[in-house]
Amino acid sequence: MPPRIQSRRVSNTLLPYLSSSSSSPASHSSLLPSRQFSSTPAQQTKLRREMFAWLNTTGATLKHHVPGETNYVTGVVRNVMSDGGSKLPFPNNPTFFSETVLSEELRNEIYARVTQQKKSIRAVSVDMGIDMNRVAAVVRLVELEKRQRAQGKPLALPYARAIHEMVPVTPLSQDGERQTYHEPINDLPAHPSTGAQIFYPVPESRKFTRVDAGRVFSGAPAMDHETAAKISHPSDLAEGIMEKPNSIEWVGKGDNARQVLQPADVRIPHPQLVNFEIDRINEPLARRERAERQAQRIKKQDELEQKRRERAQARREDRTTKVEPADSRFEYHFHDTVVSKETTGPHGKGHLAPGRRYGVPSEDRKRGIIKIPTRVGA
Amino acid sequence: MRNRATTSLSRGKIRQSWSKYNLYNLSRFRSPPTANRTFFQQKWSAKAISRAYHGEQVREGQWKRMFSKRIRSVVPMNVADLAADDGSLVSSGRGLGLDSEDKKSRTNVRPMPFTQMAFAPLERRLDVAIFRALFASSARQARQFVIHGAVTVNGQKMRQPSYLLNPGDLFQVDPERVMYATGAPKNKFERREARLERKKEEKEEEATAEEGEAKEAKPEAEAKEGEKENTRETLKALMAQAKNAMSHEVLPAKRKQELRGFQKAVRRVMSRAGSSSVLTDSLENQFSELTLLLKGKRADKKDSKKSGKERRATKDEDSAAAETAEVDAAPGEALSEAFEKAAKGEEVDTSELTDDEFDVLKRALTQMRDNPIDNSKPYATPWRPRDYMSAFTFIPRYLEVNQNICAAVYLRHPVARPGAAEVPTPFGETVSTPAYGWYLKRRW
Amino acid sequence: MVLRIRLSRFGNKHNPFYNIVVAQARSARGAKPLEVIGTYNPVPKQPTNLYDENANARAFKEVALDRSRTKYWLGVGAQPSDPVWKLLSMAGLVEPKPITHNKA
Repeated sequence: MPPRIQSRRVSNTLLPYLSSSSSSPASHSSLLPSRQFSSTPAQQTKLRREMFAWLNTTGATLKHHVPGETNYVTGVVRNVMSDGGSKLPFPNNPTFFSETVLSEELRNEIYARVTQQKKSIRAVSVDMGIDMNRVAAVVRLVELEKRQRAQGKPLALPYARAIHEMVPVTPLSQDGERQTYHEPINDLPAHPSTGAQIFYPVPESRKFTRVDAGRVFSGAPAMDHETAAKISHPSDLAEGIMEKPNSIEWVGKGDNARQVLQPADVRIPHPQLVNFEIDRINEPLARRERAERQAQRIKKQDELEQKRRERAQARREDRTTKVEPADSRFEYHFHDTVVSKETTGPHGKGHLAPGRRYGVPSEDRKRGIIKIPTRVGA
Repeated sequence: MRNRATTSLSRGKIRQSWSKYNLYNLSRFRSPPTANRTFFQQKWSAKAISRAYHGEQVREGQWKRMFSKRIRSVVPMNVADLAADDGSLVSSGRGLGLDSEDKKSRTNVRPMPFTQMAFAPLERRLDVAIFRALFASSARQARQFVIHGAVTVNGQKMRQPSYLLNPGDLFQVDPERVMYATGAPKNKFERREARLERKKEEKEEEATAEEGEAKEAKPEAEAKEGEKENTRETLKALMAQAKNAMSHEVLPAKRKQELRGFQKAVRRVMSRAGSSSVLTDSLENQFSELTLLLKGKRADKKDSKKSGKERRATKDEDSAAAETAEVDAAPGEALSEAFEKAAKGEEVDTSELTDDEFDVLKRALTQMRDNPIDNSKPYATPWRPRDYMSAFTFIPRYLEVNQNICAAVYLRHPVARPGAAEVPTPFGETVSTPAYGWYLKRRW
Repeated sequence: MVLRIRLSRFGNKHNPFYNIVVAQARSARGAKPLEVIGTYNPVPKQPTNLYDENANARAFKEVALDRSRTKYWLGVGAQPSDPVWKLLSMAGLVEPKPITHNKA
């Protein structure tokens, strides 16, 4: 039997509920009736002895957490004494950080802003410094939580509390204070076509901007002078592309066809922030005007996105007719398909035709073919 | 599938697990030596070490097909930089004298740890994501949860642990399983208690089955009473639990004392309720009322933060002994008093109690409701985290987790950014780079 | 020879999937048909329970059908089999069959 590690932490509160880390039952061990009949201690390998020695000395602090502080091996091994504990869960990996999670109040605040104050996800994201995907996810999760509470389904509240004591948390700001930003919101994904280094000579007299660099990376011919002169700043392109995403130019043919790489100002999640910044540089005094213009920009962007979503939804509904027969437990969804020479091909084996193929071996038992669902409809 | 994922001390491999053996292995891990070893040997051992952690439940061939040499990365853009410069300053000739101080500082960016992302495709797997969201104590356990049907993806039951999550997928694990996986296990006395209780219930069931016919006559009258009695029943049940927990000899004296105080408080409230029948309000109402009161109190006193710090200090091990006596003595009174007043719907007299006591009271009340003693659970109750859990708790940014309902959203694929990689891996670049190199060269 | 619009079974064990085909009446079920005009998945799909609006939603079965080809084949005298008749009547391409009770 391994040596029992005696917890030095005694239950120090009124009820066992007070601290999720209170380890009162662990203290039973001292009262356990001894079941050892022989007086010789059990055999232990050297490694096991060393491990329990470590767990009893250096590793003893890892057994229980202190609320509000991280408790990672790195702190013990490297003896880090920083506020809130070490940020590195793995002592050998300095590039992985334990990052903050949203606190319960912050989550509820986000939910309230989106559902009650009817703010758009984009606006909330900019206000709170939280990625748009995360804001949307939080709204989904909080809504689900509310539903489950209403239905009386079991919740894991003590578990949630313990986790929030163990990991770093981004708190909700007090009234009047500025909300601390949770994460960078303008992440630019590295495009695969920028992987290659290209040597591209440019005459000194020519202005070579991000827009031109994107064209070079995607192998598109240089813009003519007229169109180039119209673009005073790369962020001018953002609005046009937002309105018509299909207006991005294509280069190459067949399988090699690709869209021209757009400048960072277009590809970041919040392009309107660049316009705001430009306004600030150009007219540093007109503060209120700038804020108004910014609000309008966000509003316009939201409207465009909303319209696009609605159009996609309408298109999806157009393609299917739903029938609910009175004598059936089920609904029937009828989709339209096209059977023609174009879809079936000259031999009737075209992959666009409806139905399973004839005369083609079934590949669903082959190696490397994914046989489980690849997506679950939400 | 046989579990080869043992955390043996002699091999010293690191696994996706919260066991203390694994913790010890993690603490003493050193990167393998490279001196006097061929490049092939270095890559081989790096691969072996990192595969023992990353997707050890995935067959090698399966992982090789998943591997992608393309690594996702992002650069956080500074809008001020984008606005100030359209790119022409960076590309302008060096001889123009346009170089500024800023430009130099901007080139001083941290490198992207690309090879640390070598195992990023595995993080898409459902079982790994469940482990990362802290819903299971090991990837193997997460896998079992999926196979046993305790996991839903987007509201549909999903039984394939190898399901690759798509950005936006919401997965949810049965909270009971999560509590079991992350909670401390029962000791043998608690197990025995549960066993006895089960036997007793079985006997009672038999008895009620015999009496069943006789009782059917008057369920209507009972239903009417039921609503009123409901809250009383809850309190009664709570007290019974406390009594139950006290009844066996093994409890340490301190804990017994605590429970007795709690029992007393409940009894007082119950006696009040019997006379004035105010208890038709649910327990929930009392809690919310109390919480409101406490908030009002906190607003009055600006120095609540300070007291919060003191509270943390009480948890500190060294000062524990001194504090316990005080806390034990006073809040016994405080709790019962507040309990009574809340039950009667009166204004609680806030002046008598200190901030500390209020905090204690409030937390005790909510915890008592959320974390009851229940012998039927497969984990030790009241729930507390398992030992050595805190050394492994971190939530990567590509997941958004709601612990209350044990649900999480897979936001996006993990990415590398300057100086940081989002794939949680215990190895440094001395291991991950040769491992990445091993899979880059296609020799199959 | 009679032309029939009927189902031909694909998919795996316990996981049926049908092509809606136009074929000679006496040809084998798995034989190559004259034309495939659609598909029918008899395994009902459950709408997700994550949203309130889906609380009372019914499970659904998916049918894909080329209406104009179906009309053409019906026009030249192809006879739907009973299950296909049921589907086509739901799509509004044929009159629903009157319910006949089997007299044993």
